Amino acid sequence: MNIRAARVEDLAGMQACNLHNLPENYTMKYYLYHAMTWPSLSYVAEDHKGRIVGYILAKMEEPEEPLDGSPPAEPLHGHVTSISVLRSYRRLGVAKKLMVQSQEAMANVYNAAFVSLHVRKSNRAALSLYRDTLAFTVKSIEEKYYADGEDAYAMQLSFKQ
Amino acid sequence: MATQDWPQKDRKLFSELLQAYESKTLLKGRKTADQILKKYPDHGETMCMKGLIMVHLGEREEGKALAHQGMLKNPTSNIVWHVWALIQKGERNFPEALKAYSVALKTDKDNFNIIRETSILQSHTRQYEALVESRLRMLQLRPYARAHWVGLGLAYKLQGNLAEANRVFTHLEAFLRSIPVRDPEYGELILFHIRILEEMGELQQALTLLDTNAKERRLVDRPAIVEFRDSAQKAEWTTSAEQSWRELIDQNNDCYDYYKGLLANSDIDLNNLTEASREKALQILGEFSAKKANAPQRLALTVAEGNARHTSETFKERVKPYLEHALRKGIPSLFSDIKGLYAKSEFKRQAIEEIVENIRSSEEATSPQPSSEPTYYLWTLYFLAQHYSYLQQYEKALGILDTALKHTPTLPELHMTKARVFKRAGDPYRAVQSMDEARKLDGQDRFVNTKSGKYRLRAGMLNEAEEVFGMFTRKGAATPGADLVEMQALHYLTEVANASERTGKLNIALKRCYQIRKVFESFRDDQYDFHQYSIRKSILNPYTAMLQWEDNLRSHPAYIHAAVLAARIWVMLFDDPTLANTIQQPEKATELSKKALNKAKKAAARKATAESTSQDNDDTSKQKAQSKIEDKGLDAPLAKEDDPDGLKLVVSDQKLEQAHEFLGTVVESGRDRVDVFVALFDVAIRRKQYLQAARALRRAHMLDAQHPEVHLRIVHFSREGQCRSTQYKSILDESLAVVKPAELTLEALNSQYLQLHSTSPPVILACAKVSQTLDASRNDVENILFTALGEDVKLTMKDALSILSHLQNLKSPRADEFRIACDAKYKLSTVFKSAEEQAALRLQCIEPLKDNEVETIF
Repeated sequence: MNIRAARVEDLAGMQACNLHNLPENYTMKYYLYHAMTWPSLSYVAEDHKGRIVGYILAKMEEPEEPLDGSPPAEPLHGHVTSISVLRSYRRLGVAKKLMVQSQEAMANVYNAAFVSLHVRKSNRAALSLYRDTLAFTVKSIEEKYYADGEDAYAMQLSFKQ
Repeated sequence: MATQDWPQKDRKLFSELLQAYESKTLLKGRKTADQILKKYPDHGETMCMKGLIMVHLGEREEGKALAHQGMLKNPTSNIVWHVWALIQKGERNFPEALKAYSVALKTDKDNFNIIRETSILQSHTRQYEALVESRLRMLQLRPYARAHWVGLGLAYKLQGNLAEANRVFTHLEAFLRSIPVRDPEYGELILFHIRILEEMGELQQALTLLDTNAKERRLVDRPAIVEFRDSAQKAEWTTSAEQSWRELIDQNNDCYDYYKGLLANSDIDLNNLTEASREKALQILGEFSAKKANAPQRLALTVAEGNARHTSETFKERVKPYLEHALRKGIPSLFSDIKGLYAKSEFKRQAIEEIVENIRSSEEATSPQPSSEPTYYLWTLYFLAQHYSYLQQYEKALGILDTALKHTPTLPELHMTKARVFKRAGDPYRAVQSMDEARKLDGQDRFVNTKSGKYRLRAGMLNEAEEVFGMFTRKGAATPGADLVEMQALHYLTEVANASERTGKLNIALKRCYQIRKVFESFRDDQYDFHQYSIRKSILNPYTAMLQWEDNLRSHPAYIHAAVLAARIWVMLFDDPTLANTIQQPEKATELSKKALNKAKKAAARKATAESTSQDNDDTSKQKAQSKIEDKGLDAPLAKEDDPDGLKLVVSDQKLEQAHEFLGTVVESGRDRVDVFVALFDVAIRRKQYLQAARALRRAHMLDAQHPEVHLRIVHFSREGQCRSTQYKSILDESLAVVKPAELTLEALNSQYLQLHSTSPPVILACAKVSQTLDASRNDVENILFTALGEDVKLTMKDALSILSHLQNLKSPRADEFRIACDAKYKLSTVFKSAEEQAALRLQCIEPLKDNEVETIF
């Protein structure tokens, strides 16, 4: 398993991987938008044949600056748009490795204070990965976040020790 | 009368019209335009403005016609051309828009907005010479904006003028003084400049620029820095490079490129190992193996010598703990990870089999109290099942899986592997059944769901597949397939196209091919917004990579496959004009399959209602805001899908022309593919374009002279030639001479070719087809086809099926004999059962979903 920064040529493979794994899907333009804006934040895992078997698609959230010049309510932070690994490549710690690489770039390149993500309330496996393995904490519950009406946990991990 | 000769009042009115458009007060604008036109009914500019406003209001066709009329009235006005460009751009007719802007610029050469729009279109259509001109003009007009310097530098780079590009960026960096440290966008600008220097061969300058900016913390992306430094140093051995690679490995110890970089730094080329460098590579990789990383250990397994003579133990010693560790941890991908070693070394394959079989025996010996975790035994069985399936020992694999399932009946992986074994052994129906078992054990996992749908497609169960896919598709979509099309699911479209073609639903297959094409066209359009955006952001390495990717889209295998398949279907429809009519008949779906389709549709409708209620509030407030004036924008709306199943498509009277047009888009990108040129030949010869046919045949022949499909076309071309027009006779004769010796008769050519490849089933089939066209008796043709059952022939199931279907097409009385022989030959297979038997199997293999199953998922 090779873990490396995503390139433009990987986007179609990432899109296919996402469609196989998750119910939240995006058209190519959204992948391009990530790649053209935050080129160092997205990573892929590829197998020996160069097939994309896992990916993390991530971005920065630019906080809105209030008009009166006061500092923004939230500091600059990273956000995981989507992360998944093909079922046949799970239990290798691939998701964790992808996440760690992306976080490193968020903190190092963009000076992010923390990283956030959303997870389906019913997705126990993902919840346990984020909370137990990666030390994220649940910040709030966003009601009916998903198109089918399911709630999301909004989770965060601070980069400050 | 021109505007400037109007009374002041009217001129004011016209400028109000322009303002109204700018501020998008569209209804006011239209009223003003009408007021002007009452007095000056022939005023071109007003007609154009009104037309433009109408397009915004959703009256596209009328608006466009009015604007066109206006344009003819006043062809020298730049307003008129500007309007026309906007409308064309909205319809994504970029070359036409570019032309219109160029005319507008002639009379208004310093109009910055028009030049900017022009530059975007020039990037989009790759007219880099002209782009440089536009960018120069923009910089002259607005020299103080950083973005215009960036834009000019980029234009020079795209044009290939690296020296000028370098000058622009050097200049820019010199006057950008107050750059904050750690500004990622500035960092990207520097990386782009470094790439330019690198391409110029100015490696020392590139390195200096890199190091200065890294030191000043303007460049902070460590992986990018080291990777750039490495390519700039061209693998000259340096201690600092060694150190950098080690630091990178520290940061990401699963990146193969970093190990390759580190090894290359010690002069080790993994693709070209000597005995000495192999040892050294193993030693270096060994340093990292103690850490938790998988990559160096796995890389070492590839590197370690796999032959029995000298270092054999090295491999076994390495692979044993690797396998044991993964089996204890229960890593499902172990086999896919390892099997890459099999192809290159029989020795390694045997060694692995021996080790894992030993684990199995020792675990079995200690049962019923196993020596270790019970899952250790389970994953060992799982590995062995995949191993034997890979070696085509299907019965052995299934036996192992049954043992494993007795042990743990709820592990979806076991059922998935069982499905895979059945599929490969030629029983698509039991494969469907097993994959369904897996799916039911983990209903929340879309991956198993996708597989389950795909297996149903492979078994020719299109409606049943749709039903399964629908459990995870978006709720508002008309059908599950519609959502997958909208989400650009190429894997889905390709599978459905193939399955539909196999089951004779040519309309659906053809439609899916064109939908695949549309996906690629939308990828192509996606770049439009980034031409401007990337310059503003000054993030240019990813942007230039995107341009390259866009230009290569047509070499994507899914695209080429769609073009070739579409052409093949068009040819089938052309050769047998009754096909299109049979397709128009309502499909005689089985009861079950009809039920499945209805259920999928109902579920989609149910979800749609649920969604619309939950979003009701949103919608009404939006509607209120929009009810006053609805600006629909300039972009042409997506055409409504009025032919979702391709029923109108298949009755086209331009079949060959359509095939020719689609194939035309892959002539370049598919230049090394025989199937592309065979398809081109098939279309050209039917269109009586003999020169094109000859060219395609020669290309295919050059790529693979012995290919059975090429053999068929050589014969086709020779026979067609006997009655063709004389206009190009000498050229055609010359082409024929290249692919076929003149002295050979076709009969002799055919028998020579068959003799040369008498154990190749595709050749046997091709030669039988040729004999048939050369008027051999059916008996002779059958005799040729039956040689495929000979002992020395390695007959795959796929080839056997092609031969069987050819016998059936011939209405050969011996078709059943062939079928029954294959049925006996492939023990586990069901694809050689009779049509009735298979219909029964298809019915049995799936339990219809319970009515509530669809909903419980969500």
